Amino acid sequence: MTAATATAKLTTVETKLLVREPGSLFTFLIPLFILVVFGSSIGPGDTTLLPMTIAIAIGLVALYLMPTALATYREKGILRRLSTTPVRPVSLLTVQLVLQFALAVLSCGLLLAVAGAALGARMPANPLSFALVFTLGTASMFAIGLLIAALAPSGRAANGIGVLLYFPMAFLAGLIQPASQMPAIVVRIGEFTPLGAFRQSLADVWTGGAPDPLLLGVMAAYAILVSLAAARFFRWE
Amino acid sequence: MPVIDVTDLCKSYSGRTVLDHVSFSVEPGEIFGILGPNGAGKTTTVEIIEGLRRADSGTVRVLGLDPIADAAALREVVGVQLQHTQLPDNLKVWEALDLYASFYEHPRDWRELLDEWGLADRRDTRFAKLSGGQKQRLIIALALVGNPQVAFLDELTTGLDPQARRATWELVKQVRDAGVTVVLVSHFMDEVEELCDRVAVFSDGRIAAIDSPAGLIAAVDAEHAMRFTPAPDAAATAIDLIRDLPGVSAVTRSGAQVIVTGRGDFATAVTAVLARNHVLVSDLRIDTRTLDDAFVALTGRSFDR
Repeated sequence: MTAATATAKLTTVETKLLVREPGSLFTFLIPLFILVVFGSSIGPGDTTLLPMTIAIAIGLVALYLMPTALATYREKGILRRLSTTPVRPVSLLTVQLVLQFALAVLSCGLLLAVAGAALGARMPANPLSFALVFTLGTASMFAIGLLIAALAPSGRAANGIGVLLYFPMAFLAGLIQPASQMPAIVVRIGEFTPLGAFRQSLADVWTGGAPDPLLLGVMAAYAILVSLAAARFFRWE
Repeated sequence: MPVIDVTDLCKSYSGRTVLDHVSFSVEPGEIFGILGPNGAGKTTTVEIIEGLRRADSGTVRVLGLDPIADAAALREVVGVQLQHTQLPDNLKVWEALDLYASFYEHPRDWRELLDEWGLADRRDTRFAKLSGGQKQRLIIALALVGNPQVAFLDELTTGLDPQARRATWELVKQVRDAGVTVVLVSHFMDEVEELCDRVAVFSDGRIAAIDSPAGLIAAVDAEHAMRFTPAPDAAATAIDLIRDLPGVSAVTRSGAQVIVTGRGDFATAVTAVLARNHVLVSDLRIDTRTLDDAFVALTGRSFDR
């Protein structure tokens, strides 16, 4: 069979595994739960809640789901086993990244659909700006996830590091309490973290403004530099 | 032409020599054993042959291919079972076989492997729910699904119960009988003795000997023992008769039992003399020499697991 058949089969199998993984369901349910619980108290013009829940969804996929999956594959010797077959282990990593990104898009799509249809929340005025911010924010967070996967000795360790990183990042990003209720200096520091820059850029898009180039630069820098570090430190076994 | 040809392989990790001029060749259709204690260089050797590691010096050819330069061609024709490999917990048996079959140009029909390896009734079971023996059989089946000409099996029965080990051995013989050359890495003497046509005995990064298991055992002139219980009044006579026989090095008594140690085929001489002189004995036992003895004699140390 050809490499295309193998990649197709790999994608099918990895999709099944992702669906069977209980963690996947949680990355849908937790942001949705927050949206629905707080959604009852927002006004029609609210520009805070949706950006927060989208940032939470991306944070969960990037810091919990993806690093745990990748580190587990290495821990179980699956990447090494693949390297003895005609398929290269990097194919598996690529398929995983694409699927995790698809999961992130689906999760956000669900949030937008529920918020738009059931809660009457406001949608971003400029879809292109939203797509740009979403892509950069997801890329920067996935880079952090890849670095965790590269450094963690086991799937369990990756999960632990993900948890440890998530809470301070979520706090600085204004996801635990809204940024408007936080000290200005903390908000300012938060804007230099990938999740904070992401949340703030989303909020800018929602209020109808253009995203701040500085924040886009922060996300792009994390995406590139941290990915390079992850590639540098990644071990196949 | 040998299937695998290894010449002067050397490898060291941060100054520590792991392989020291290792050379051997594997003939078509044999089960070739690589035997030795942990740390003797067995797995390193096999991983260099598989192309997972690079040697510091020396050459390797597998079916005429260089494991590094011709890596892509080599991966099509070898099947590998690695030590400690697992699969994702939620992957079903048929999905694993179907997936790995899709990696190869000319795979086997995985449904046949399902039957051959006794996994047909576990077809839809997830990996995490399989027993240890079933997991191991699936991992071996995955090494064969690409229809390889050479299969590498590394510590294939570690962690299996005796019954599952025996069953696995029978299956490995069938793999050989189907024409696949098998390289078996093991630290189990009984496994190597049962399965291998030829064995390379590794010790401290060198090959101490290469021969059939029977040849290795026969070549060893180790001291071994026989014991018997003579009739109570005949013990002294018996000891006098056998003390000076050729090959006998010591005769001792332990209660009613007489223990004779010696080299070579002294046991035949002892039983012949006793019979000729009408000395009645019971509970006659001759300790047979094993591959363990051969290993100790070859490497000068006991087999440390």
